[in-house]
Amino acid sequence: MEIGPIFSALRRNKVGALLIALQVALTLAIICNALFIINERLAFIARPTGIDEGNIFVIKNLWVGRGTDAQNTSLLQTDLQTLRDLPGVADVYSTNTVPLTNGGWSDGVNLTADQEHSTTQAANYFVDEHALNTMDIKLVAGRNFKPEEITDRAERDSGLPDSMIVTQEFAQKMFPTESALGKAVYMEGKKPTTIIGIIENLQVPWVGSWVKTWGYTAALIPQRMIRQNSAYVVRAKPGQLQTAMKAAETKLFSINPLRVISSVKPFSEIRAKAYRGDRAMAILLSIVCSALLIITALGIVGLASFWVTQRRKQIGTRRALGATRRNIVNYFQTENLLITLVGIVLGIVLAVGLNLWLVNNFELTRLTWWYLPMGAVMILLLGQAAVLPPARRAASVPPAVATRSA
Amino acid sequence: MLKMTRLEKVYRTHLIETHALRSIDIHVREGEFVAVTGPSGSGKTTFLNIAGLLETLTGGQYMLDGVDASKLDDNARSKLRNEKIGFIFQSFNLIPDLNIFDNIDVPLRYRRMSAAERKGRIDGALARVGLASRMKHYPSELSGGQQQRVAIARALAGSPRLLLADEPTGNLDSLMARGVMELLEEINRQGTTIIMVTHDPELAARAQRNIHIMDGQVTDLDEQPRLRSSTPMPDKNTHVA
Repeated sequence: MEIGPIFSALRRNKVGALLIALQVALTLAIICNALFIINERLAFIARPTGIDEGNIFVIKNLWVGRGTDAQNTSLLQTDLQTLRDLPGVADVYSTNTVPLTNGGWSDGVNLTADQEHSTTQAANYFVDEHALNTMDIKLVAGRNFKPEEITDRAERDSGLPDSMIVTQEFAQKMFPTESALGKAVYMEGKKPTTIIGIIENLQVPWVGSWVKTWGYTAALIPQRMIRQNSAYVVRAKPGQLQTAMKAAETKLFSINPLRVISSVKPFSEIRAKAYRGDRAMAILLSIVCSALLIITALGIVGLASFWVTQRRKQIGTRRALGATRRNIVNYFQTENLLITLVGIVLGIVLAVGLNLWLVNNFELTRLTWWYLPMGAVMILLLGQAAVLPPARRAASVPPAVATRSA
Repeated sequence: MLKMTRLEKVYRTHLIETHALRSIDIHVREGEFVAVTGPSGSGKTTFLNIAGLLETLTGGQYMLDGVDASKLDDNARSKLRNEKIGFIFQSFNLIPDLNIFDNIDVPLRYRRMSAAERKGRIDGALARVGLASRMKHYPSELSGGQQQRVAIARALAGSPRLLLADEPTGNLDSLMARGVMELLEEINRQGTTIIMVTHDPELAARAQRNIHIMDGQVTDLDEQPRLRSSTPMPDKNTHVA
């Protein structure tokens, strides 16, 4: 290895080398942070809701005409029973909202009736005894609702029933040192609600950063929403999602055409819509990263090509003095390695600085340390790959160039 | 030391063929100082390039120190060049971004010698050309004569069996040229074979033997090597094809 002479030669040709080192440094700083943000976004997008997303679809229904609560209850019960009777349907329930729709209710949860500041915030899902089976959620403690526990909740009603089922995150937050089962909490007003069951996992309806601390803190309330509009969550039997969706819409119209079905959406569509912005940001950052890497590679190719042309006589002389083609390729690769290493050292400092700035100004999380060596290795490999074509061109300079006078 | 038999070099393009060397026979014995003369375009440089393994031959045979160079691949030619041949170029061909020490170190590094051995050789070579105090200087800080001395030191550091000099004084004034020539004669007296390509009849006259090349053929030569003071007398050994 000719590290010493190459380094001293580079010190006498600082400008080009420094420009490339700076480009490498900037690329590394941006790439490390961008890849970190992309991976965070992808992990954020990939969070499970806790429900059987592959087989679930949601029907949004609006009755034509304003019926009484009793009429609406009857229509709702008929619809739910009709859907359950469809051959491709596993189960159905009606609700106020589902995960990832960015709309729903939440309440502060208290341990006592007169607690000033809530222990946590929680999402409220109004459901019936079919919800757990429909969502295919695992009950880890306690029991499911009994049919007789489900009450109707009209628009003007307030207050919660006596019991509810909560997520593990809810239980852990409220009762970190003991089992939450059978304990009472206060959510709406001064009336206690007893936790009768604990489910494994269920994401809240919102995906924004404001729910970061309570993304899975949810309560299932045993109440049927009696309104002019309703949402039916349907789980199709495996492999029958599309058939069940079509059949459900047709059947609902056939039993009562006085309705508007505004949408019949598979859950995958709800997920796609919820994370559209995050996905767009990840794609945009990936494009920026790719462009930066291409520009850096082109910069390295450009400088190395220029140096090959400029040093043609020198390369011929080296060949005349005994350098093999491999020696010449190694020379350019070592030179690139040294420039890139300088860029990487600068880039690591820049990457940490940029991350601190992003953390302070945009509430980003601190860069995980291994992005720095990963980015450094990526840039090193890129540099070596980029310098290879000009280095090979250099190696093809014939040694007879040394005796040419020009 | 060097034996070329019916050696040919043809440059081919899709339009024409140029015969740079036509069936030449040359034999240079160990310890000789031979000058190769001839007008521009006569084939002198092609001869030097082939002798120095910088180019391949098109036909014939070239034996260098007992090795059939015509059969070597590029890597083997590089290795043989590095171990057996020292080059002195008209325009010195020093690497401007390396100091004198590192310039002389270039061919030694390709031999994978230890740092200590390389340093010993570089110190010795620089002392031999009288530039031991300039090893940290860069080529641009030296005169033309000094640069050529560095180039000679670079060639000597590898202890070559054969020294090929391509117009070694072509870019020097007469005073510097004399100094370089005296140095080459001194190196030859110590046993190194030298082949020098030159335009200068005065310099050629100082060699033991002249080979004149014209239109790619050896047209004239001294049959009788001249005697120089303290110079070993070689046998007559150059043949015209």
